[in-house]
Amino acid sequence: MNAAGLAPVLLLMGLAPLVQGLVHRTRALITGRRGIPLLQLYRDLWKLARKGTVVSRTSSGLFAALPSAVLAAAIGAALLAPLGPGGSVLRFPGDFVAFAGLLALSRYALILAGFESGSSFEGMGASREVTIATFAEPALFLCLAALALVTGGRDMSSLFGSPMARAPLLAPALILVAGSLFVLLLAETGQVPVDDPTTHLELTMIHEVIVLDLGGPDLGCVLYAASLKLTLLAALIAAVLVPPGPMHLPWMVAGVAAIAVVVGVVAGFSARIRLDRLPQFLTAAVVLASLALALTLR
Amino acid sequence: MTWFLLGMAALAIAAVVRLVVPWRAGRPASLALVLAGCAAAGGTALRVLAGGPGVEWSFPTTLPGGPWLLRLDPLAAWFVVPIVIVGACGALFGSGTFARERRSGRVATTEAMMPILLGAMALVVTAQAVVPFLIAWETMAIAGLLLILHEGERVEVRRSALVYLVATHAATLALVAMFALWGSQSPDLTFPSLQASLRARPEWCLLVLPLGLLGFGIKAGMIPLHSWLPGAHSSAPSHVSAVLSGVMIKTGIYGLLRITLMAERVPAWWGWLLLGGGLLSGVLGVLWALAQHDLKRLLAYHSVENIGIILIGMGAGALGTASGQPLLAVLGYGGALLHTLNHALFKSLLFLGSGAVVHATGTREIDSLGGLARRMPWTWATFLIASVAIVGLPPLNGFVSEWTIAQALLAGSEGPASLRVLAISLAGLGLIGALALACFTKVDGVIFLGQPRSESARAAQEAGRGQRVPLVLVSALCLGIGLAPGVALAPALRVVASTAAVSSPPPAGALEPILAGALSVTGLGVALLSIIGLLVLVRRLLLARGRITIDSTWACGYPAVTSRMQYTAASFAAPLLGMFGAASGIVIERKARTVHTRPVDLVLDRAARPLWDRLQHAAGRLRWMQSGRLHWYLLYVLATLAILLGYLAAGGIR
Repeated sequence: MNAAGLAPVLLLMGLAPLVQGLVHRTRALITGRRGIPLLQLYRDLWKLARKGTVVSRTSSGLFAALPSAVLAAAIGAALLAPLGPGGSVLRFPGDFVAFAGLLALSRYALILAGFESGSSFEGMGASREVTIATFAEPALFLCLAALALVTGGRDMSSLFGSPMARAPLLAPALILVAGSLFVLLLAETGQVPVDDPTTHLELTMIHEVIVLDLGGPDLGCVLYAASLKLTLLAALIAAVLVPPGPMHLPWMVAGVAAIAVVVGVVAGFSARIRLDRLPQFLTAAVVLASLALALTLR
Repeated sequence: MTWFLLGMAALAIAAVVRLVVPWRAGRPASLALVLAGCAAAGGTALRVLAGGPGVEWSFPTTLPGGPWLLRLDPLAAWFVVPIVIVGACGALFGSGTFARERRSGRVATTEAMMPILLGAMALVVTAQAVVPFLIAWETMAIAGLLLILHEGERVEVRRSALVYLVATHAATLALVAMFALWGSQSPDLTFPSLQASLRARPEWCLLVLPLGLLGFGIKAGMIPLHSWLPGAHSSAPSHVSAVLSGVMIKTGIYGLLRITLMAERVPAWWGWLLLGGGLLSGVLGVLWALAQHDLKRLLAYHSVENIGIILIGMGAGALGTASGQPLLAVLGYGGALLHTLNHALFKSLLFLGSGAVVHATGTREIDSLGGLARRMPWTWATFLIASVAIVGLPPLNGFVSEWTIAQALLAGSEGPASLRVLAISLAGLGLIGALALACFTKVDGVIFLGQPRSESARAAQEAGRGQRVPLVLVSALCLGIGLAPGVALAPALRVVASTAAVSSPPPAGALEPILAGALSVTGLGVALLSIIGLLVLVRRLLLARGRITIDSTWACGYPAVTSRMQYTAASFAAPLLGMFGAASGIVIERKARTVHTRPVDLVLDRAARPLWDRLQHAAGRLRWMQSGRLHWYLLYVLATLAILLGYLAAGGIR
């Protein structure tokens, strides 16, 4: 265990709501609105923490633990992500399987929390969520495989430990990996054009509709977990693209901010993709990752 | 070996006792004997796995084929352990289920066949000569048939049993052919002689291995040889399904491993074949599972998927042996062995849980259930543990074996360029995992959460204590291996190292980081569970008394919400299945006011049955030969005789 790696994890965990705010603000500015304040999510979380909650009559005893599990799995993934100069907090061969597994566990708990209400809306959102994940998961593993072949590493710290600097000749493959991861980020964290976090129509929602019946601290957990996942994936993309030098942590934070702005720009310039066309968009992630892998196979 | 044989004897006596001694005294005595037999055999196997000497027992016989050899080597011991664990838990659960069963005759047969099945499986994996192997293999198949026929008065059960019987005998036929061809090259039919003959003439792999794949592949249920499996495993009583799906299909995996390891250096095409078959079984198995409406059929298709994952590991291992990459071989075979054990645990847990559900509600239709979590909390908790395990998520045991197999797939990149392609299979693992997640959120969400969709689900009651004990036991094992992977991973890697899979041990220090990684997995699991605990505590503090309001679910202001308005399992799966088009095996039936989806087995219903119908039709054209008159038949016999004599006269046999 690498205790020194805990500091950057805590830093990014603290900044996560700000990253979400950056995305919203960029999108608002591009669409000609003033938008919500940058720090709005912090205020929302604070407000939610102090509120009570309404729990559905159909819920089982497990319900109390599900939003916590959503967040705990995301924090677990943060412990595996190489954010600081010394690599991740927990580092072992094949830890990327655990990283993907924890993101999936987070999704599992969220979907069960939705089903607890017995409402059709949640079932619908869950169904869409797993459909998207079916395309995202193979793409993620292809990206990881490509990075493993490029770097020869077996854990996330070496996979994302400046591959660009180590194998400059493979820059095209790495750019493809970053592109694939970017599409994954849009899908996993429910950004436009995959999902619209600000929509008000339940029938078109994906992520938002699963949490429709959550309130108070439960909703806070889920919202914060979503911003944490966004930050983690942005950090991974930044690590692929930017060769982190001695100024590792500032680089990483700047990279995350830049990715957040790009996500906001994409959201500002695009409309939501129709649900039945979504697989075609997500296939792009698979195709990009496959191309990257093909380039690294030689 | 004495203890192992005593255990087998106890199992045999248990069957006799159950059949002969009357109900009151016979049941507990028989159950006690089953448990004692499992304990004795399991204890011996664990001692072998812990590094004790392999034990051997030879029985001289005058039958052709040489002495009957039994040997409990590490590989056999690895398979005996899940057989006795799942067997004992299944027998316990079964006696709880049958406690109030009326048809005592049928129950006696079923309960007597259980120890026979367990003993036969243990002998299949320990037999080291063809004759005892095939005897045990057939005993296992027939005991399985009698168990499947427990509810033989139902026509669909009889039909599934027939398909099972045909399939299992096709498998035996392929094995007899394999052993006959193989034995023609060797002095006797003991496995050591067969092994020596195959090593002397490696070109015979070209005949032996494909026949083995046919025979053992049918038993294991790999696609496209799986068609018997969903029907048979869903027709049996649930604790029997647990044994059939958890361990009996693993004898197919055992057979494949055994013949692969008997060839000293398997050809590379064998590795690619196993890998390809594994990917196909894995992806299609889980996809077809998602399409099912019947809980037990769904679980049976998941067995096909997990056999696929095991085969992916075995394929990687075989490629490692073929190309002289010891690390790849050890990790691939090790992951396959580990997944064999893990799948035995979580799949039997799922089937036992489904047994509790069926027992409580009387239905297996996922869309008639719902809201069982509040009514059956023990079943729900253990079923959830098994679900998370089968999806392969930390901190449970399914994750550990998929983690090992994923590392094997990457270990290939250190070898020759052709093995770098193995990394692509990671995407297959990812796809299987994502589809399994879709499938088990559907099962958990629709069956256990929300409101009951039928009166029987509303009236459901928790399983009795006799059923809860095995559920909790197996869950504890799933969680234990998930939290401390080293206890299972290290022995699995030792078993591989004890075989011919690796001619030289992996380079020094190659395995240490992985075993150390198992410790980190422990750290991760503990961290995860403690963060969850901490957050739940914080939630409880934040939501102190009176801040939680219990109310009905919001339905856009509509007050009369009924359970029919919930999302169904069919609609949950529909968009995802739609993406896969015809490959998803779903038939959509639209009528004026209703839409129904019906799952079909693409191999059985779309290929095998039509082919059979055509064959029957073609055979009908020869009906004129069957005139029913005796003298015509005598003429046929005479004509055949004449042809054979002519063949001999022409020098047909030298």
